[in-house]
Amino acid sequence: MSDYNDEGSLLRPLRALSFLGRPAVTEPLEPRLAAEGYRGFHLNEHAECVGCSSCQKICDNAAITMVEVPELPNDEAKGIRNLRPAVDYGRCCWCALCVDICPTGSLSLSKEYVHTCTQEEIDSYFMLPNETGMHGTFYGKGWQKTETSDLLDLQRQEMGERPAELRVDNFDEIVDGFTPEQAMAEASRCVQCGMCHDACPTGMDAPEYIRSIYEGDLEQAVRWIYQSNPFSHVCGRVCTHRCEDACSIGVRGTPLAIRWLKRYAMDGVSHQRIQEITQEQRAAESTGHTVAVVGAGPAGLTTAWDLARKGHKVVVYESRQQPGGMPRYGIPEYRLPYEMLDRDIETITAMGVEIRCGEEVGKQVTMEQLQQEYDAVVLAIGLHLGRSTRIPGSDHAHVRSAVELLRQVTEEGTIEVPEEVVVIGGGNVAMDIARTVARLQRQQWGGVKTVVTALEAEENFLADPAEIREAAEEGVTICPSRGPQECVVEAGQLQSLRTWGVCSIFDQQGRFAPHYDEGDEQCHPAGMVIEAIGQMSNADQLLGDMLTERLEWDRGRLQVCENGRTSETWLWAAGDCVNGPDVVHAVADGHRVATSIDEVLRGALKHA
Amino acid sequence: MNMDAFTPWLDALCGRIDGMVVACSDLAQRRSRIDLPSEELTTLLEAAKGEMGFVHLSAISCVDWIEEGEFELVYHLWSYEQNQLLSIHIRVARDLGRFQSVYDLYRPAGFFERDIHEMYGLYFEGAPDMEKFILTEWNGPPPMRKDFDSEAFVGETFDWQQYNPEWLQEIVAAGGGVVVPPTEQRFSQRKKVDGPDWSGDHPQAKRGQE
Amino acid sequence: MRAENYQQINHPPSHAFELNFGPNHPGIEGNYALQVQVEGDTVVQARADGGYLHRGFEKLMEQRLWIQNIALVPRICVPDPSPMEVCYSMAVEQIAGIEVPERAQWIRVMQLELSRIAAHLFTFGGHAATTGMYSPMFWGVADRDLILDLFEEFTGGRIYSIYNLPGGVRRELPEGFLQRVTDTLDYIESRLPDYDDLFFKNRVFIKRAKGVGVTEQAMALEYGVTGPNLRAAGLPFDVRRDDPYLVYEQLEFEVPTEEAGDAWARTLVRRSELIESIRIVRQVVAALPDIGGPLRTPIPNPLAWRVPAGESYARVESSKGELAYYVVSDGSEKPWRVHVRGPSSMHAVQVLEELVKGGRIEDVAQTMFSLDACPPEVDR
Repeated sequence: MSDYNDEGSLLRPLRALSFLGRPAVTEPLEPRLAAEGYRGFHLNEHAECVGCSSCQKICDNAAITMVEVPELPNDEAKGIRNLRPAVDYGRCCWCALCVDICPTGSLSLSKEYVHTCTQEEIDSYFMLPNETGMHGTFYGKGWQKTETSDLLDLQRQEMGERPAELRVDNFDEIVDGFTPEQAMAEASRCVQCGMCHDACPTGMDAPEYIRSIYEGDLEQAVRWIYQSNPFSHVCGRVCTHRCEDACSIGVRGTPLAIRWLKRYAMDGVSHQRIQEITQEQRAAESTGHTVAVVGAGPAGLTTAWDLARKGHKVVVYESRQQPGGMPRYGIPEYRLPYEMLDRDIETITAMGVEIRCGEEVGKQVTMEQLQQEYDAVVLAIGLHLGRSTRIPGSDHAHVRSAVELLRQVTEEGTIEVPEEVVVIGGGNVAMDIARTVARLQRQQWGGVKTVVTALEAEENFLADPAEIREAAEEGVTICPSRGPQECVVEAGQLQSLRTWGVCSIFDQQGRFAPHYDEGDEQCHPAGMVIEAIGQMSNADQLLGDMLTERLEWDRGRLQVCENGRTSETWLWAAGDCVNGPDVVHAVADGHRVATSIDEVLRGALKHA
Repeated sequence: MNMDAFTPWLDALCGRIDGMVVACSDLAQRRSRIDLPSEELTTLLEAAKGEMGFVHLSAISCVDWIEEGEFELVYHLWSYEQNQLLSIHIRVARDLGRFQSVYDLYRPAGFFERDIHEMYGLYFEGAPDMEKFILTEWNGPPPMRKDFDSEAFVGETFDWQQYNPEWLQEIVAAGGGVVVPPTEQRFSQRKKVDGPDWSGDHPQAKRGQE
Repeated sequence: MRAENYQQINHPPSHAFELNFGPNHPGIEGNYALQVQVEGDTVVQARADGGYLHRGFEKLMEQRLWIQNIALVPRICVPDPSPMEVCYSMAVEQIAGIEVPERAQWIRVMQLELSRIAAHLFTFGGHAATTGMYSPMFWGVADRDLILDLFEEFTGGRIYSIYNLPGGVRRELPEGFLQRVTDTLDYIESRLPDYDDLFFKNRVFIKRAKGVGVTEQAMALEYGVTGPNLRAAGLPFDVRRDDPYLVYEQLEFEVPTEEAGDAWARTLVRRSELIESIRIVRQVVAALPDIGGPLRTPIPNPLAWRVPAGESYARVESSKGELAYYVVSDGSEKPWRVHVRGPSSMHAVQVLEELVKGGRIEDVAQTMFSLDACPPEVDR
């Protein structure tokens, strides 16, 4: 406590006169640079920024405007938009939350203190930050994102899955699915940039369903999912998830598990409730129009689904005993349990779609009959024939096509496999058949001797990295950069596959012209060689000669307009037989074709 | 004063005052909460101040629970003797719009009640001064009420600064320009979307045709 | 208030004049006004008039995501912004049940105490100016700038640090920073004799300040006065010691008091406090190298973060007194209610009106500065 009676001194202040004798403090006139980590004006590495607009979302001062810069790349599939943030310094408060949330790390703040101007130059307060900054001179970065300040969770929730030793001898589903806690944590990572929506062929409202999952409203999530995809159980499991390639969280971290979240939402709502929810979409009245769909795969059934909910009568003709197409006959059950496919199909039939299995067009019924009976016909026959390498010996009975073999497994439950099997091909179908064969070998021989040979180097495999990893875990041997030369047959018995090392696959013009190192020869012993190098369709018998003649073809593929309509005004085509194999593309195609048919039937669009 | 006296006092008080609930009492964190019927407030305050030395009214907070049609008033009391903070929560009907002042017991209430009246429109009977203080020239509704949309008010009242710098003109000339103005993306202000629009065509199908 | 809206105070005919003290007046801290009625040199009545700095912070905070408010709260008190962000963070942490890593707690203490030193230097300067002494004012402002240099270095901002997030602090201290803190503290300590010569022991100041704006302890308690103003009336209460938060329990410091309760006592309490703050920062500087670990408990993606439903009343001791945040969450992405209890809302309104009454006109400004009234805390 101070002495209250202290009167102070009149003379003591005079001591400050000594300051007169001290040197004056001077500051240089040049602009002083701020400290490292100062929050000055924005810098943005345009080459790193993907235009996701997370900065804009976190800025509650409404200081950030997204501007389209046409000269910059714009690639939906890669998750890059040509949008860049422009900053209004009349509103910015320099909190740097935009820097700390930026998924790519392209944003930072400079070490400059001051910007000022007269009223006439007020436009200078609105700028498009680039690498050099506010005044065209780069003074070095100030505030940058650090590990501590980063506001995003870059690590994906690990999905539980059955270890290799528990899965190699059976066809049970491998992944466990998310727990509610995991799903919540995973959904919370989303910055709602919508890159996934733009990259998805069906335009799936992924940000919205992720949001609904986060809000604990799984039914709403299902509603969002069914907005664009009736194969929701299927796509929640085996979609090629282009959304995850585009996810902006994936730039520095692991992308959101968008596909697994869809699986979680679909599994979290009862089958019956899903059907009730989807019925909300159904048109109240029938239009009286009728449509025939050939092929009960994803494209055909999506077309049927869309048309049925708009009130048209739809009949689907399926040559096989069960509907589902490739998801049933091409995808092994450890990836997609048939029960889940059945649920999707039940939801579709509940919408009023009639599926006639075992009725093969071209046999029990002809295209001419369909043309006469229905107002429109959709061809969605998929690609169910395997391509062949046509190397010597490939006509041997034990040289099989992957798609046909997979179909046989589905139809018969199991098949007999030899002790040693070689697969040709590096795509997902090759992995599916290799892993299927591996399981059967384990069951029948107690061990796995399956070899996958592919032209591509391992890093360029067309299959998902996860598929390759899991195949290897299950005992499949992967031999990259091997070109098949001959299926060696001795005394009528298939002995092995002879391969050469691959030097290059494409020539300088980028055409397919593999170049081999003949000195690097290997023989892979094989009791069966499986070719998994692509699929084709065989529509000749189905269409009949006259129709085949009238339609336009390009290298075996049916030519259609952008809405999927063929040169015949009553005939549309959709799915793999038009676009090549991909389930989510097939669904998207189904929507497009259905919209076109609906417009034509309603007379809104007259065909020229 | 004996530090151990607080909890027994609280317990005893529950017997004396109808409807009083000790919602939580964490002596280590020095925080206790009492929920109380509003008509018992004065009784409790008198007891707290007189018996336990809660002489310091740290604040009166008002919370608008619009869906329940109630204002919650929270009286934060501190006892210099007990080193405990006591929060007394009462609810007042929003429509009624009036409540009794505690200025006679606590002078600081003069400021807080005046502030609540100004911001929430809740009148305190017996307060010395219910005149405007902060919003002297405001004639609109009490702005802190949840049904006052300040964002809408600002939108109607003020203009956005319009900029047209050279760099933007160049981008516009090249075919680009402003695509997402900040008002459409501010996360805190985004509209809650009820659900997908089932009517009409699949969005992607439409997009393909554009 | 605009001039056209000005209304006369009703009073009986007298020799009294009305004087508008502010909102723009060198003797007013910030933008604030006192409508003063004077007879001769004597103030007979005064009425505080606020609202000039009202920006609707509490309303805005209800419309922002939980962490967006961090950019907002420091603006509530310009001279001493750090307690705002720490207190808001603490309130949110209490509701969400987030533990703050130890290192972050120590750094927060350093931030708070540096901010207190800067605020007190500013107030000395202001108080000196109101007694006609401008050199201490320049000194106070210039020496405060050295603290701001430190803030710039470790938080990225000179005034508005925006350095805290619920869960911890945003970045690591720069290389060699603690040494520079020590150097600056050494310098400020070395300046205290100069301040004493020119200000605290200056007979002009002592004569002017003694007996002005007296709050006796009973009155201070009655009016809810806190902080240095309460301690100047002899009650050794300090939130840091008596309702401890962060790591204050592990630190050694005194709670200085004076008895007189006048302008002189209040300013001398602040002088002692500044020395205690330097002492605290030195302890933090000594301890920090041995305290490792993370700086922040991660919070979920801020665009999606929902704080569980609940409420909390967080208090800190700011340079002005007891600062408190009452935060209510309804479990959504934004606070349902944030009530800022600025310490100045007590001593800048009812107390100030009471204290200037009966005093002389030239002491009005001094009274306000000696109370360290901070109008934006009142207006919010």
